[in-house]
Amino acid sequence: MLPAPEARFDVLVLGSGPAGHKAAVQAAKVGKRVLIVDREPTAGGECVQRGTIPSKTLRESAAYIAGLRARSEDMLQITLPPQTKVASLMRRLRHVRDAHERYLSAQLERNGIIRWQGRARFLSPERVEVAMLDRTKRTVVADLVVVAVGSRPRQPANVPVDHEHVLDSDSILSLIYLPASLSVLGSGVIACEFASLFAALGVQVTMIDTASRPLAFLDPELTAEFSKAYEREGGRFLAGRKIESVHWDGREVVTRLVGGEEVRAERCFCAQGRIANVEGLDVAAAGITMTARGHIAVDANMKTSAPRIYAAGDVVGPPALAATAIEQGRRAVRHGLGLPTHALGEFVPSGIYTIPEIASVGLDEAQAVAKYGSAFVGRARYDELARAHINGQTDGLLKLVVAPDGRLLGAHAIGEHATELVHVAQMALVGGLSVEVFVDNVFNFPTLAEAYRVAALDAVGQLAKRAAA
Amino acid sequence: MTPSVQNRVELTTEARTWLETHLDRELELPLLPEAAARVVALCEDEDADARALESVLERDPSLTACVLKVANSSVYASKEPIVSLQHAVSRLGMSTVRNLALTNSLQGRVFDVPGHASLVHDVWVHCAVTAVFAREIGRKLRRNVEAAFLCGLIHDVGRPIVLQTALRLPRSLGTFTGAQLELAMDTYHERVGARLVKAWGLADWTAAAVLHHHDPESAAPYEEEARITRLADLLAHWVLTPGSGPEDFPVLDPVVLALNLYPEDLDALLALRERVLLASEALQ
Repeated sequence: MLPAPEARFDVLVLGSGPAGHKAAVQAAKVGKRVLIVDREPTAGGECVQRGTIPSKTLRESAAYIAGLRARSEDMLQITLPPQTKVASLMRRLRHVRDAHERYLSAQLERNGIIRWQGRARFLSPERVEVAMLDRTKRTVVADLVVVAVGSRPRQPANVPVDHEHVLDSDSILSLIYLPASLSVLGSGVIACEFASLFAALGVQVTMIDTASRPLAFLDPELTAEFSKAYEREGGRFLAGRKIESVHWDGREVVTRLVGGEEVRAERCFCAQGRIANVEGLDVAAAGITMTARGHIAVDANMKTSAPRIYAAGDVVGPPALAATAIEQGRRAVRHGLGLPTHALGEFVPSGIYTIPEIASVGLDEAQAVAKYGSAFVGRARYDELARAHINGQTDGLLKLVVAPDGRLLGAHAIGEHATELVHVAQMALVGGLSVEVFVDNVFNFPTLAEAYRVAALDAVGQLAKRAAA
Repeated sequence: MTPSVQNRVELTTEARTWLETHLDRELELPLLPEAAARVVALCEDEDADARALESVLERDPSLTACVLKVANSSVYASKEPIVSLQHAVSRLGMSTVRNLALTNSLQGRVFDVPGHASLVHDVWVHCAVTAVFAREIGRKLRRNVEAAFLCGLIHDVGRPIVLQTALRLPRSLGTFTGAQLELAMDTYHERVGARLVKAWGLADWTAAAVLHHHDPESAAPYEEEARITRLADLLAHWVLTPGSGPEDFPVLDPVVLALNLYPEDLDALLALRERVLLASEALQ
């Protein structure tokens, strides 16, 4: 039998998560013939199957319960019965997932993008073999390749993840019942999202990490606000602790810390980072260089060390957020096809779906000082906002970072709807506006967006004081 | 188990009518014994401790013997020999003890058909192997491991009940041949098993997996649980067929594709053959 002929495409995208999907659509929009290869049967990657979509659906239930508890001001004693079924808190998941998959698939179809289900392996920089589920193989040749194959949870050698008692972010949502207690190993984005979610659902959560505070990469003021909310829901954080071993003793998961301390919990959640899904891809055959941490090395335009291969999304490492991945996918294709990339996505927001939410866009205070020599910070606390009092959610903070000439440089928020609020600042940043725009214009009342006016007044006051001095 | 004889034999209309009447309407389903019911309840109670579990076990010698035997088996035993019931519970864990309680009850109340010990034993061995394979599939697919195990363990629970019922066929209607008994089990075991699972208060997805383990795509919204049970069922058949090698497994079965298992994923499951057999011995 003759071998199947090689298929030829202008652009080949490996992976259909946020980065891959956007890369494919961007290429198709400029008339290129595009193929997406993904190991999953449906579009969306891990984001839809085990990542953002399912976890945020569960988070919405947890946030609703926490919000109801706060709004009732102890009038309602809202606690979930012991052993509540996790599935009962995610009843809408199937609907949410189906709707998102339908939307993504329709977009691929509308743009004439071909999709194959299979596992890819580089034979050479421009030639890729795809092993199909039915054990057949096909070869693709493309002018431009975008690698967006995502990541998977890292399993440290001293943490035996069995997906039964010790879980990772792929298996945590397979829990049938809410555990009475949960130890969380790590204090990054995923650790904090799940720790705050389970604490809000009444689980006794203990987060353990070597860091001195959760989300240590964030502005300390935002972290302090997060810790306050997390601890109020009963969460504990053990800072500066190193894990020696983890084992299931037949009844509980015992986490032994260096120094002899032990933490016992019904279940353990290991969130110690993610590693790139490059296993089986044979990146060496493509001439792709990896970083020391096992991610694909790329330049500012997402170009790898191989001339016609780009990479985007989790596979290139931090920040590994969906919004960033989308921008990376778009940038990769535009640069690869010789389209202008300037002014694209200079201000990509980041959102952390903890309870409460955290969001950022632009420069933080330290970055602004480093770049401009000095900076002003205007603050608005949620308890200054009528809407926050009406909502019964007065924990929250918006910080506006302002240049010495009054230009807005960044915004950082924690609190209810922070991930939505930050887009107002994003548009001001894109427009290069002065912080005074928030003082000179009227916002709906009562709204949380009023925080911009309050924070801007604070910053403008500081600017005036500086000018007077 | 997989229907094996339907093309060769038939049940008479009278026998079929009698059987369906008894299985669907007049059958008294076996009750979960009190001790097992209390163990299952304790394992679901977040305030229960190992001591409460031990006190239930102490009052049921048969269950105690089973727990000690399994804890001392080669799968669980370490260098230290088991010295007490408390020690055994600690080594096995609550969920394993719960599964043992269910297993013990199934063996005593359901998988006990005088005169057909060998046939029923074969079904039990098949269930034990299916359960262990289901657990490994659940682990691989990041689905709930305990739920997968339980679905596998009881997926064929209807077979011995159908057999017990068929053996009571009135003489006026004749006697079932061995092949007819197998046909009756093949035909009715899913629906009878699902009724038992519901009567014992087990989860909806367990009932769905038992009812649809030959047709998992009909198990909405629990297709995934039914698919895992189906694949584990196929793997158990394969592993229990003497002389079978990897080339004998139906690698392109629709359930393999529906579970999105690539060749290396399936090969990894096939490679667990010896480990699964060893682990399933603890349940036998």
